[in-house]
Order: sequence, then structure tokens, then C-alpha cells
Amino acid sequence: MDESERDPSATAQPDSYEAAVERLEEIIDRLDSGQAGLRETLDLCGEGKQLVTYCAAELDEVGAGLKELRLDDLAARLESEAP
Amino acid sequence: MEENRLAPQGRTAPGLPGPFAVGTYARKLQGWMRERARVQLIGEVTGVGRSKVQAYFELRDAEGAVPCAIWLNDLEKAGLDGTGLRDGAEVVISGGLDYYPGGGQASPNFCFRATHVRLAGEGDLIARLEALRKQMRAEGLFELQKQLHRPVLPKAIGVVTAERGAARRDLLAALERRGWGGTVIWGFAPVQDRHAAPAIGMALQDLAARPEVEAIVVTRGGGSLADLWAFCDETLCRTVAMLRVPVVSAVGHERDSTLIDDVAAVACSTPTHAAEAAVPLDCLAARESLERCAVGLRRAGEGAIGTRSRHLGALARGPARALQRERGKLNQKIREIRAAAERGLAGRADSQRRIGTVVLERARRRAIGADMDKRRAALHRAAVTLRAHEPERTLERGYALVEGDGGEPLTSAAEAGAAERISLRFSDGRVRARPERDGAA
Repeated sequence: MDESERDPSATAQPDSYEAAVERLEEIIDRLDSGQAGLRETLDLCGEGKQLVTYCAAELDEVGAGLKELRLDDLAARLESEAP
Repeated sequence: MEENRLAPQGRTAPGLPGPFAVGTYARKLQGWMRERARVQLIGEVTGVGRSKVQAYFELRDAEGAVPCAIWLNDLEKAGLDGTGLRDGAEVVISGGLDYYPGGGQASPNFCFRATHVRLAGEGDLIARLEALRKQMRAEGLFELQKQLHRPVLPKAIGVVTAERGAARRDLLAALERRGWGGTVIWGFAPVQDRHAAPAIGMALQDLAARPEVEAIVVTRGGGSLADLWAFCDETLCRTVAMLRVPVVSAVGHERDSTLIDDVAAVACSTPTHAAEAAVPLDCLAARESLERCAVGLRRAGEGAIGTRSRHLGALARGPARALQRERGKLNQKIREIRAAAERGLAGRADSQRRIGTVVLERARRRAIGADMDKRRAALHRAAVTLRAHEPERTLERGYALVEGDGGEPLTSAAEAGAAERISLRFSDGRVRARPERDGAA
């Protein structure tokens, strides 16, 4: 199927990691039920892959190593940057 | 003051008694105050100072304060004359109102004259805590934080704790165990004394004001309720209730319950649990789960096409297979018919053969029957004839048979005369004899 013919909501960026995971679970359940037709299956797989990519990117953002900042330093920086 | 000096006498309020001498009024005021009921007060000691004869301090809580004084000998009796009465201590004092009217040079002074003082016990604090808890619950302040959305995977969290506390180390270790490597913004604050609650409140507000902060942890280690009392501060707890960012509290140990636990979005027993509540997602497990998802989706996509193509293939082969099946059935029928036909022919041949055998046997028997009778009669005659010619029949009539030594018949006189011995066989037995020779005689 042409990409432009797909439901736009299916390819929309999820609001959050938990929203993405929730939708992924729905997709897996639907696929596991065996009731999805070929077209729906391929659409769901495409959407699922996008969600997996999104979730992986979200995990990557907190996967680089813990970063520690001090509120005092941030406040001092703000004050020094103020005109 | 300017206005008072310039005001004419008629401007004072008409109809009031006086004017009295202020010293007289001051002494009457002192008497009136001292007659007020004696009570107990509980609060935090601040601004402790001492003179030669008494100690001064303020007794304070979030709602207000009262200036207090206690004679040093009363303080000594209470056992708090050393450093016992110090800033930040929660105490219960007994006494009543007092007023020092001053004098020509001395300033007047109002105070609550304490005659007894003791450090607040667990029971006192619990009673105060329960009263606060009841009031704040009635105001609905315990529900506000719990209605906030808590993201499962925050990128940045704020933490309010003591800079050198063990809680800091435990929290970091727990975050790293979950594979979370986001940003921690530390809002270090004292966690025990009268400066703690305002400092914690300020740090919380500053952290909540930062847009990247998605959750805030407030934590400290265990201690007595007096040690944890800063976390029961009404102002602090009201501040927490109104924050837009969810607050996870982990103050003291499991058995300790402070007011901040009630107002926070989540109350935890340890810094480790607080880390898990602030970052609910175990990132290591999530990565594994995500990989399984990706594999599952790939298989589902490939499987959907594979299954259907196999199904289509099967459908395409259907007509040929049906034809083959029908051909097989037809062949089977043919084999069955052939077998049946063969069985029918064989049966008929066998029947014919059986009928022929019976007919022939009957004919044979018919043919043999007459011949046999004739043969039997001829045989009987031959037997009778043979019997008539048997030597025994002759011997029965009185004849004798001459036989040699070996039983051979001697049929002439010459043979009998030549034999050494002879045997005469009669029908009833034998007689041996020796022939006589004429010449020898």
C-alpha cells in the first residue's frame, strides 16, 4: 500500500514512552489474535516498527550515563547570564 | 506623633475613663496578666539568649510565636541548663503570661513566663502531627500530588537531600542498577533543624520551576520523630501539595511516617524505593522487552506474507489435486470392478466344474454298475473252477501226493524209486517212506 494512503494517526509520533508501549502492546495483541487481515497486519507491523524505534531512541536518551548537576550551580549560571 | 502634639484636648475620645498614670496602668496590667490561666505550650525553640538570671527564647511554629522567659534556676531544675535549651529543639513549656512594667530607665517587657520546660516527647509530636494531618486531609491537600501524571521514563529528576547523607549514595546506586542514565539535579539542603524545612521548601520550588525536571525525590535517612520533624512542617507540606511536579518522599525508615509522606505523590520507605518510584521503568529490562517486540513484529510481518503465499499456493494446486483425487477414485473403482468380475467368472467356472463332476460320476457309476455284476459272476465261476482243480480237493477224494525230501512233487515211479526218501501227502497228513529197490534186494 502507498504510504500516503495509510491512516495518519497510525504514524503519528506518540506523546510519551508509556503511550508508545501501550500502543505497541495493543498491536502485539491484535497480531497475536490472528484476526488481522494481510493489509492490516502489514500496517500494524509498520506502525509497530516506528514505535519500537521511538522507544529505543527514548531509552538511548537515558542510556549515555548518569549526569549530575547542582541546583546552586544552575541558579548561579542563570544569574550570571541575566542582563 | 506630630498630629498628636498638635491636636487639641477635645480630640481625645470622649467618655473613656482616665487619664491614668501609665505606671499605675502598667502594674495593673501585670496583675491582670498573671491572673490568666496557666497552660502548656509546645513548639520549636528559636533565638535563645541568656542574662544573668534568666534565659530568653521564642517558641514558634508555622502559625506564630510567643516570646518566652525562664529563670535559670527553673531551667536547671529541668536539666536543660547546659545546651539542652537550644535553637531547633522541640519543647513543651508550662507557665503563664507575665508582664514586666519597666521603670524610669528599664523598658517594659511582655513574655510567657515558663516555670517548667521539657524536651517534647514522641507522644507530644505525634499529637501535633495528627492534628495537622487531620486538618490538611480535610482540606484535600493529600490528593493533589496523587493526581499528577508520573512519567515512566523521565529524562531528568530533581533530588532534595543532605549533601553528605547516605541517602544520596543509595539513590544513585538504585538508579544505575535500573540502567537509567538521565540527569539528576541535586537540591542539597539541611534535613534536620529549624532551617531544614524552609531550605527544603525552597529547593523543591526551584527544582519544580525547571522545565526539564519531571519528578522530584525528597529523602533522608532514619531518625527519631524529632529528627524528622522538619518533614512535618506545615508550610513545607503545603508547598509540596501545590507543586506541579510529582514528589516522591522517602524520609526515615518504614515505620516512620511524616506529614510529607501524606502529601507527596508517592511515599517510599527507602531511597532505593524512591529511585524506583521516580524512574518506574527498569531500562535494562525495557531494552530486552523492546528487542523481543521488534523480533515479534518482524516475524508477524514475514509470517503474514509467508502464510498467505503458502495458502495461495495451496489454492493454486487445488484443481490439479482434485483431479488427481478423482482419478485415484476412478482407478480404484476400476480395480474393484475388475476384481469383482474375476471373482464372478471364477465362481461360475467352479460351479460348472462341480456340476460336471457330479454328472460324470453319476454316468460312471451307471456305466460301471452293470459291468461289475458280470465280472463278479465270472470271478465267482473262475473261483469255483479253481477250487475244483486244487490238489487238496483230489487228496480229499482219497488220492495221495508223492513228494521228495525237499517237498518237490515226484510225478513218476522212476523219480520216486530214485529218491532216498519220499513223503506221501494225504488230505489229513504226511507219511514218510523209503522206497525198496528190486536190484538191491
